[in-house]
Amino acid sequence: MLKEQLESILLKVKNPSRYIGGELNSVIKDKDKVDVRFAFCFPDSYDVGMSHLGMKILYSIKNRRENFWCERVFAPWEDMEALMRENNIPLYALESLDPIKDFDFIGFTVQYELCYTNILNMLDLAGLPVRSEDRTDDMPVIVAGGPCICNPEPLADFIDIFILGEGEEVNIELMDLYAGMKKNGCSKKDFILAAAGIEGIYVPSLYDVSYNDDGTIRSVIPNDPHASPVIKKRIIKDLNEIYYPESFVVPYCEIVHDRAVVEVLRGCIRGCRFCQAGFIYRPFREKNKDTIYKQTCSLCESTGYEEVSLSSLSTSDLSDIEGTLSLLSEYTDNEKINLSLPSMRIDRFSDELMQRLKAIRKSGLTFAPEAGTQRLRDVINKNITEDEIMRACKIAFKGGYTAVKLYFMLGLPTETDDDIKGIAELAEKIIDLYYNDPDRSKGRHVQISISCATFVPKPFTPFEFEPQASFEEINRRQKLLLESIRSKKRVNVSWHNYKVSILEAVLAKGDRRLGKTIYEAWRSGCKFDSWSEYYRYDLWMKAFEKTGADIDFYAHRKRSYDEIMPWQHLDYFVSKEFLISEHKKSLAAEVTPNCREKCSVCGVSKAVGGACFGKD
Amino acid sequence: MEKTDVRAVFEKKGRAVFISHLDLFRTMQRALKRSKLPVWYSQGFNPHIYLNFPLALSLGVASSTEFMDFSVTESFDLNKGRDMLNSAMPEGLSVLKLSEPVYKNQDIGFAEYKMCFYGGAAPEYMLEKLNMMMELETVEIDKRSKSKGTIKIDIRPYLDILNAGIKDDHAEINIRLPAGGTLNINSNVFADTFSDISGITFDNVYAERTKILIKNGEIFM
Repeated sequence: MLKEQLESILLKVKNPSRYIGGELNSVIKDKDKVDVRFAFCFPDSYDVGMSHLGMKILYSIKNRRENFWCERVFAPWEDMEALMRENNIPLYALESLDPIKDFDFIGFTVQYELCYTNILNMLDLAGLPVRSEDRTDDMPVIVAGGPCICNPEPLADFIDIFILGEGEEVNIELMDLYAGMKKNGCSKKDFILAAAGIEGIYVPSLYDVSYNDDGTIRSVIPNDPHASPVIKKRIIKDLNEIYYPESFVVPYCEIVHDRAVVEVLRGCIRGCRFCQAGFIYRPFREKNKDTIYKQTCSLCESTGYEEVSLSSLSTSDLSDIEGTLSLLSEYTDNEKINLSLPSMRIDRFSDELMQRLKAIRKSGLTFAPEAGTQRLRDVINKNITEDEIMRACKIAFKGGYTAVKLYFMLGLPTETDDDIKGIAELAEKIIDLYYNDPDRSKGRHVQISISCATFVPKPFTPFEFEPQASFEEINRRQKLLLESIRSKKRVNVSWHNYKVSILEAVLAKGDRRLGKTIYEAWRSGCKFDSWSEYYRYDLWMKAFEKTGADIDFYAHRKRSYDEIMPWQHLDYFVSKEFLISEHKKSLAAEVTPNCREKCSVCGVSKAVGGACFGKD
Repeated sequence: MEKTDVRAVFEKKGRAVFISHLDLFRTMQRALKRSKLPVWYSQGFNPHIYLNFPLALSLGVASSTEFMDFSVTESFDLNKGRDMLNSAMPEGLSVLKLSEPVYKNQDIGFAEYKMCFYGGAAPEYMLEKLNMMMELETVEIDKRSKSKGTIKIDIRPYLDILNAGIKDDHAEINIRLPAGGTLNINSNVFADTFSDISGITFDNVYAERTKILIKNGEIFM
C-alpha cells in the first residue's frame, strides 16, 4: 500500500482527490480473500475515465463476484506522473493503493485511437515492459477491449489478449478460467492459450500476418491449433436481463459527465455509413421502461446525483420514449433530479421533448445534419431532410431558443464544393427562418455555431474502403466554407484539428506494423494525444519516418473490395458483402431504410439467431 | 415553504483531507440527498440544496470540528438525523452532532490547530527554532489581496502558541490563529512561515483544526 508515500506528495498536485481513492461506493475487499485481482485501466485522466459508462458496468459486474476484485486505474496527469517517477511510486489502483504490477490482470478499455500512447505509458509507469514479448510469466496478463479493439492490430505488440464486443459475460468467463488455472499452478502462457478458446477472445500472438509486395496484407493465419481462423465478437442478448450497476463510484472532484447514467439501448437502427458505432454495436436492443425506471431510481438513490442522463447512441429511437419519459419524470420531478437526454435526432425532435430539455437548462440546442446537401446526406445515409431540420429549428425558436449548434463533417466521400456551400446555405436558411418567425423572442438575435470535424474512415463501415481527404484539400474546403458564409456575425465556424484526424485515420485502419511507430512515438514523449496541449504532431511524424510507416498508405489510399483488411479475421457479424453493397449504394446516393422499417440483411440477425425486430 | 436551519458539526479526516472546499460542497449536497432527510431546496429555476460553511478549511488540513448549515422543511430527532446523515457519508467525513445554529459566520474570530512537524530536523531543534521565531519582533509574510495585489503583513502579533512539545519522533505545536472575515491566517501560512524562518524543510506536516472560536474566545456553535 502506497498510502503514506502518496499523502506526502498529493498536496503538490492539481486535484489531489483523484489520486487517493476512498470515494463513495468504491469497492474494498480483502486481497487475501480473493482469487483474481483485476486492474481496470482507463487510458486517460480520471475526469474523463470516471465519466465512462462501460467501466462502471464492468467494475460492478466483476466486483459482484466475491472471489474477484476489480479496481480502477487512470492515467495520472503530468504533474502527478513527474512526482510518481521522482519518488519511485509505481502506477497503483485506487481501491487498494497497491501497485498494479502485482495484479493478475491489467485491462484497458480503448475508446479512441488517441489514447494508444497512454496505454504504453501506463504499463511503463506500472513498472512493466510495454511489449508482450518482454514480459515474463510472473507479470500480469494484459487485456484490452472497447470499440477500437474492432481493429486491435496496431496494439498487437503490447496486449496479450483482446476482448471483442460486449464485455459483461466474457470478462467473467476469462477470470473464471484464470482462477481455475491459477489454482492448478498453470503458467501465464498456458492460460493465454486456453483463453483463446473462449468466444470473443483474440490472442494476437497466435496469428502470423504476411504481406504482399505492395504492402497490403496477404494473409492472417493462426500459428497454433488453439486459435480459430475467425474470432467472433460477443453480444448480450437481452438488456433487460443483464446486470446493470445499482450504484456508481461518486467522485469528489468534478468530472466530465458528473451524473447518473442509465443506458437505455444498445446498437442503432440508423445505419449512417460513416458511423462505426452504428455497425459494431449491432444488433439494436432496448430496455423496457420498467427496467429503465428501476435502474434510474436505484442509481439516483445510491449516488445522490442531482442529474440522470438516458444514454445510448440515439436515445430518441427508444420505441416508447414518450412513455418512458413520463414514467421517469414522475420520479425525477419529485426528487428534484434533472433528467437529461443526449443524442437526440432532428427528425425525432418534438415540442414535448423540447419542453423536457428546457426544464433542465436553457442553453443552445445541438443537432447533427453531418452534411450540407440532401445529396451528400443520402450518400452517408443520414436520412434527415432539410424540412426536418427546419421544423426542428422552428420548434426550438418557438420555445425560446436562440442558439443552434450544428455538427458537420468535411471530406466525406463524393463531397463537392456545392456540398460545402450547402452548409453555409443551410445556416443562412436557419437565420432567415428565425427572423421571419413572428413568435421569436423579440430583441434577441440568433446564433448559429457550425462545428466541422474531418471525416475519418473507420473499419467495419461501408466507408472503410475510402481514403481520407488530404490536408491541402481539407484546408481548401475550410476556406471555401468560410467564404460562403454571408452572415458572419450570426454564424461562427470551428473545426477539429486535421493533424489529429489524420492520426486517427492511420491508427484506426492500421495494421500490426504500426506497433513500432506507436512505440517510437511514446518513447519520444507522446502521450495524452487527445489533449490539444499535449498533442505532438511533429513527434508523431518523426516516429512514422523513423519506423518507415507511410501515412498515405494507411489513410489516403483507396482500398479495393478484395483487399484483406487488417481486421478481416475479426467477425463483428456485419458481412463484408453488406458493407460493399452499402458502399456502392452510397456512391449512387441511394439510401437504406432504418432497421425498424426494414431489415437490410447486414448479417447480424443471422448471427444472433433471429430477427432483430421480432419479425423476418 | 417553512424552513428551519440546522448546523452540523463534522470531522474531515484521513483521505477526506484531499477534498477541496468546492468539492466538499458537492459531496455534502449528495450526502444530504442520499440521507433522505427533509432537506430544503432553494426555490428557483434550478432548485438545489442550500448549504453554508461558516469557515472554509484549506486543502490538506484535517479537522475535528467543521461546521455546515442547511435547512429542513420539517423537524426531526436530531440524533436520528445525524445517524441518517452518517450512513450516507463517504470515508473520512462524519457528523458528530446536529443542532440549531447559535452564532453567525461573522462572529468567528479564531481557530485552533494541532500541527505535527515531521523530518528535516530533530524535534528538539524544531522547538528551539520555534522559540527563536516567537522572540522576533515582527514576522512578515506576503499576503495576496484582491484589491492591492501582494502586500506584506506582520503576523507576529497574531501568533498564539498554546503549547509545544515533542511527541515520539516529531514536534507537536498547538496554535491559535485569527480566522473569519476580518483576518484569516490558515495553518499552511504558519507552517510555511515557520519553515522559512527556521530554515527547516519538513518531510511532512500534519495539520488538524481542533476548535473554531468566536471573537470573545468562546466556542463557536
